[in-house]
Amino acid sequence: MKAAIAAGRWQRSRWLPGLLYRPAGSWALRPRARALKGALALALLGLFWLSLLAGELWLSSGQAWRALAGGSSADDAMLAFLVIEVRLPRALAALLVGASLGLAGLLLQTLARNRLASPDVIGVHDGAVLALGAGLWFSGEALLGPWWQALAGALLTLALVLLCAGGVGRQGQRVLVVGLALAALARAGFELLLATVELTHSSALYSFSMGSLLASSYSQLGPISLALAAVLLLLLPWLPGLALLQLGESQAQLLGLNVGRHRAVLLVLAATLAGLAVSVAGPIGFVALLAPLLARRWLGPLPLLGASLSGAGLTLLADLLGRLLLAPVELPAGVLSSLLGGPLLLWLLLRPDAADAADAADAED
Amino acid sequence: MNRGLAGAGLLVLLIGAALLFGPGRVAPAALWSGADEHARMVLLQLRLPRLLAALSVGAALGLAGALMQLLTRNPLAEPGLLGVNSGATLAIAVGLSLQGSLGAPGLLAWALGGALLGTLGVLALARRSRGSRAALSPLRLLLAGLALAATARGLMAFLLLMDQQGLDQFRFWLQASLARVTPQQLGLGMVPLLLGLALGLGAARPLSLLLLDDELAAGLGARPGRLRLLAVLAVGLLAGGAVAWVGPIAFLGFAAPYLARSLGWREPLPQLWASAGLGALCLLGADVLGRWLTAPFEAPLSALMALLGAPLLVLALRRDASLGLRR
Repeated sequence: MKAAIAAGRWQRSRWLPGLLYRPAGSWALRPRARALKGALALALLGLFWLSLLAGELWLSSGQAWRALAGGSSADDAMLAFLVIEVRLPRALAALLVGASLGLAGLLLQTLARNRLASPDVIGVHDGAVLALGAGLWFSGEALLGPWWQALAGALLTLALVLLCAGGVGRQGQRVLVVGLALAALARAGFELLLATVELTHSSALYSFSMGSLLASSYSQLGPISLALAAVLLLLLPWLPGLALLQLGESQAQLLGLNVGRHRAVLLVLAATLAGLAVSVAGPIGFVALLAPLLARRWLGPLPLLGASLSGAGLTLLADLLGRLLLAPVELPAGVLSSLLGGPLLLWLLLRPDAADAADAADAED
Repeated sequence: MNRGLAGAGLLVLLIGAALLFGPGRVAPAALWSGADEHARMVLLQLRLPRLLAALSVGAALGLAGALMQLLTRNPLAEPGLLGVNSGATLAIAVGLSLQGSLGAPGLLAWALGGALLGTLGVLALARRSRGSRAALSPLRLLLAGLALAATARGLMAFLLLMDQQGLDQFRFWLQASLARVTPQQLGLGMVPLLLGLALGLGAARPLSLLLLDDELAAGLGARPGRLRLLAVLAVGLLAGGAVAWVGPIAFLGFAAPYLARSLGWREPLPQLWASAGLGALCLLGADVLGRWLTAPFEAPLSALMALLGAPLLVLALRRDASLGLRR
């Protein structure tokens, strides 16, 4: 029902750019949603600032501010290096990666009409990791391939999953288990890769495959931020269609939507986002699954901004906790996210109402 | 019966190949005369234990998969996919971080405990859903396994990240391989597997009653609760023993019963036997193939089994409308 209302609103305001769109009318949801979004953004800002301060060497807010502003003393120069060269790129990477993952998850979940269909569950992450590592087979120069390899891997894996499952939304949860199988296949390929390269390479590749923001640098951020902006721009004209697709294929078709084309474009965009995120930070699981779920719970049926914000927040949180929990040792963000995300997924699967809702959605198809 | 004979013939061929091929040349003629000391050493110290390990671990995993499918009444159930293997590996990680280092018996004990707990957990998940409205369909159970595996992976990294060396060792151990089988550990490694095989195959006839409803099975004179406990024990022994000995291998427990069913062994009793046989066949084949394909290296068995089993899983999903995938 909520979806139907949202879709109706979308139709009326087709000309509005999607992200600027605000629901018209006096729905009780609206002021609360706006306040929640504001709170989310504030929390994100707080986390961001905290991740500049926290670490083995705790800074005070004043110190960090002076470092960012460029103080004059020698001590300030050292702090400036720490904040600007080490912690700032890392926090920015967490933001960008998390936002991409959240958005990718939202797109996939909406298209598959299944709240568990996220790029990490259906194997897009593993495909991208395999593609990045496979460069080592062909040329021994760099450990990991360039970012476009991850992109290609993600797109290819998604295409394969859809091909094997016979469509994204029609077969209930089939796409999930097919994705699970293909993820295992990609991981097997990666294991074979690990077994056949030099030991130092395989150790480094293994660390990468756990998903970490440790090695983030400004040079990595260029491609992903440009691509993220491009994807967001490309996404705008397709958003009204996405809202209609929530109603189910036949409904959307009845309302005059070119379902096939919409679906293809949106899937490509989702895989692009996920692949880019993997190219920067490795496979950070469960963010793409949970961020849209959380956002949808509180912010209405198609929370684009909310999913991006909460994805960024979750990633920052995972990175921050990984830095602090075992203080001198750093836990990779990917480890922490699966530590927190695994039980959450289990809880989601076992909750009776979740099962009912998902199965009802399957039965509708 | 033809298919049984064909399987046996293939098994004999593979056994021959496993004994004859590999790094280090062994000429059959030299063995007959008994003159070649080197060949004898290679054969008796390296290849024969490895062959026995491949056969018993393969049979164990195939049977464990078939038993879990009976237990959960889910044709996709499998120790690797449902988190039993993750339970065993996590237990080993816990043991390693508590005790520093583990000998073979300690490894086995921790792995068995973890596998038993994991099997009980899976059973609880599968049964919690049955009858209630929140049915955990086959696919949901699989996803629950995914969640368990991810959590266990995170916990393992959490436990082992403290010392890099331990993590490196553990990482190698996670890549299942038969190369670590030594003649000294052969006895210890075989014990839980043979015990589990005897338990599972010996009680195959009563265990097949698990497919029925509890009331129906009780009406036939069985005690479903005890049968379930027996099956859990067998799966724990089989999966835990396999993990402790050669490392976690997924997908074989799904592939072997699936192959058995598609070859026509559909009744529960022959299916259990055939799953064990086909499991041994598949693992031995993968081992021979892996030694030959990535010649100077050892290909991790877990990866090879995933290469075999994942396409079968996709095939099963495409072909079987009866998996409850569409409601």
